[in-house]
Amino acid sequence: MDIATLKTKGLLRAVSAAPASPAAFPFGLGVAGLHEVAEASYGDRAAVTGFVLAATRQAKQGAWLWISQTKLTGDLGHVSQAALRQMQAVMPQRLNVETRTLAEALWAVEEAVVSGAVSLVIAEVDAADFTATRRLTLASGRYGVPVILIMAQTREGATAAATRWRISPRPSAPNRYDPQAPGNPRWRAVLERCRTAPNATGSSFDLEWNDETLSLSVVSGLAAGPAAPRPAQRETPARRRTG
Amino acid sequence: MLHEKSAHGLTVAAANAAAKAAGIHAGMRFSDARASVPALMAEEIDREADAHAFRLLARWMNGYSPLVSLDGEDALLLEITGCDHLFGGEAAMAARVSGRLAQPGYTHQIAVAGTPGAAQALARYGGTGNAPQILPSGAERSGLCELPVQALRLSHEATTLLRRFGLTRIGQLCGIDRKALTRRFRSRQAADAVCLRLDQALGIRLEPVAPLRSPPEHAWRLACPEPLTQAAGVEAGLQQLTQTLYADLSGKGLGARHFVFTAFHSDGQVSEVSAQAARPVRAPDHVLRLFRERAGKIDPGFGIDLLLLEALRTGPMDMGSRPLSGDLATTGVDEVALSALADRINARLGDGTVRLTHAEARHVPDKAERNGAFTGELPAAESGMRDMQGLRPVRMLGWAERVDVIAQVPDGPPLSFVWRRVLRRVARSDGPERIAPEWWLHLPGQAARPAALPRTRDYYRIEDAEGRRYWVFREGLYDDRRGQLPEWFVQGLFA
Repeated sequence: MDIATLKTKGLLRAVSAAPASPAAFPFGLGVAGLHEVAEASYGDRAAVTGFVLAATRQAKQGAWLWISQTKLTGDLGHVSQAALRQMQAVMPQRLNVETRTLAEALWAVEEAVVSGAVSLVIAEVDAADFTATRRLTLASGRYGVPVILIMAQTREGATAAATRWRISPRPSAPNRYDPQAPGNPRWRAVLERCRTAPNATGSSFDLEWNDETLSLSVVSGLAAGPAAPRPAQRETPARRRTG
Repeated sequence: MLHEKSAHGLTVAAANAAAKAAGIHAGMRFSDARASVPALMAEEIDREADAHAFRLLARWMNGYSPLVSLDGEDALLLEITGCDHLFGGEAAMAARVSGRLAQPGYTHQIAVAGTPGAAQALARYGGTGNAPQILPSGAERSGLCELPVQALRLSHEATTLLRRFGLTRIGQLCGIDRKALTRRFRSRQAADAVCLRLDQALGIRLEPVAPLRSPPEHAWRLACPEPLTQAAGVEAGLQQLTQTLYADLSGKGLGARHFVFTAFHSDGQVSEVSAQAARPVRAPDHVLRLFRERAGKIDPGFGIDLLLLEALRTGPMDMGSRPLSGDLATTGVDEVALSALADRINARLGDGTVRLTHAEARHVPDKAERNGAFTGELPAAESGMRDMQGLRPVRMLGWAERVDVIAQVPDGPPLSFVWRRVLRRVARSDGPERIAPEWWLHLPGQAARPAALPRTRDYYRIEDAEGRRYWVFREGLYDDRRGQLPEWFVQGLFA
């Protein structure tokens, strides 16, 4: 039995991956298992994508498979490589797959998980019923490849996924250098369902992404309030004339 | 009888045996033919369909030899060196081909000879009935001496000239001294053409043959003793062929990236399926899996009597040892497993489904990335690119979408804009990031009109009152004299 067989049978896994701490943020998102991230309303797809890229950390270079349905990319655009480069400390190798139908997309997700050749599978799909999510959860658990499903605002109902997130954009943080300019992006992430930590279900996080340190931080409720443009704090240089 | 339109009105294109007996031959005026035989059955010839059927027949002949070439519009040339013993010798092979051709009702004439020239001369001019003619190699001189000189594929002028000298048989030409023959022609070229054709027929000079389909480097065939009529039989045959493929290619250290599986039906049909791999492979399971989705399309029909598996685009397989565990790997990406996955997805969802984004050295953001088919090669890890440019949106729209904008000052950021029929009020904005067109692609000599040149783009990062962030740009400046007033577009969406 060679390494590839061992890997595909789930008997051999990389141990250097970040330890899954399913009871704390981000509750295993992008580390293990199947997770759903949904839009809060139509047009929040960019915020959802940003949240997924921000919350997913990779310790070393791996290959990602990004699967999407053709009609969704036609409507909402594709994920740019430049953004991936700007948001990930370790640039992943990303393969894209565009499928016509939902069934083909779900098949491709399962095929990728079972192959063990990729370190993360992200799929943008219309819908996934309980059977499909259960199937993907089992495959993901068995072969050790995390799966993230990015879904539309209509996503409701039963799921077998470990978590379901609902993401909406928030006014960005004040920009220190230019009060008229948008600052670090902020999102509100609501954890709608959570199997790994049932107590956390319903909690919401106001998150801020720092694109310089590549870190995601929770901002306090006060700071996360509606950010009216504040006047710049003018520093009047204390001139001391020495005579 | 078949007729066709020509410069002189309708002419006879082909006539069957009964019409020929009544004195009708190809090239005759149609009205003359109709006048001599009033009860003539006539139909227009469909040359395209004929050519297509003829090509299919040529493809089917690949079952007998890998090298098949077309000789004019009505003859096929098979190179059977090394193939005849598979069918029990030249005579047995010719008889078999003849029997197969007679089944669908093709009239044919088969000749086997040591040179292409001799074979075609015998087939076209030595014919008596359907019996195959076999001329042993080296016996061309005696075998061809009774044939007319037209059999040498000479030009009309040359034939006429030879006839004037009283040379009508090839045997007469062979007997004449070359110098004496050359002197009789007006030009050196005409004499050389005759000598060349004669030498080619006799095997003194080599005649190159251009095959219709270049033979594959590696091919494996499985002849079925009984015609296969079940799809399961085809599957089993394919399985057996992949085993031989594996054994054969492993011995040479090779793998292939393109496989063609061909089934030759006993009724002259050919079905062909092909599968491609991202990098050279040879493992039987992998090849079988690539074909699994497509081999079902082969309908055995009346029976398949030959299966052929060809490996194209072969290349060496890298058999370097892999690290024992993922922790020891330097890149963390198992390229072999990744391309195997890509092959399976491509086999099921269509070639070119798995794609890889390549960076392009372009200034225009929507052309800076190109999505191309994954070919088994991952680009080298990038580094140091992060600080080269401004922030880029996570989602780039497929096409920049035009928006209606209200701006405070002509050259400033928008105050509000309508995108996808929704009014969005801009709360904050940042910019512009000016991206100039690539002037080196549009040198003055190439585009005379300045209005046709691409325009400078000013990109703004803006956020609306709901917190959504966009990347919009104004195409053009107000005083650049390139076309109309500048327009605004949404290029992408920030996280």
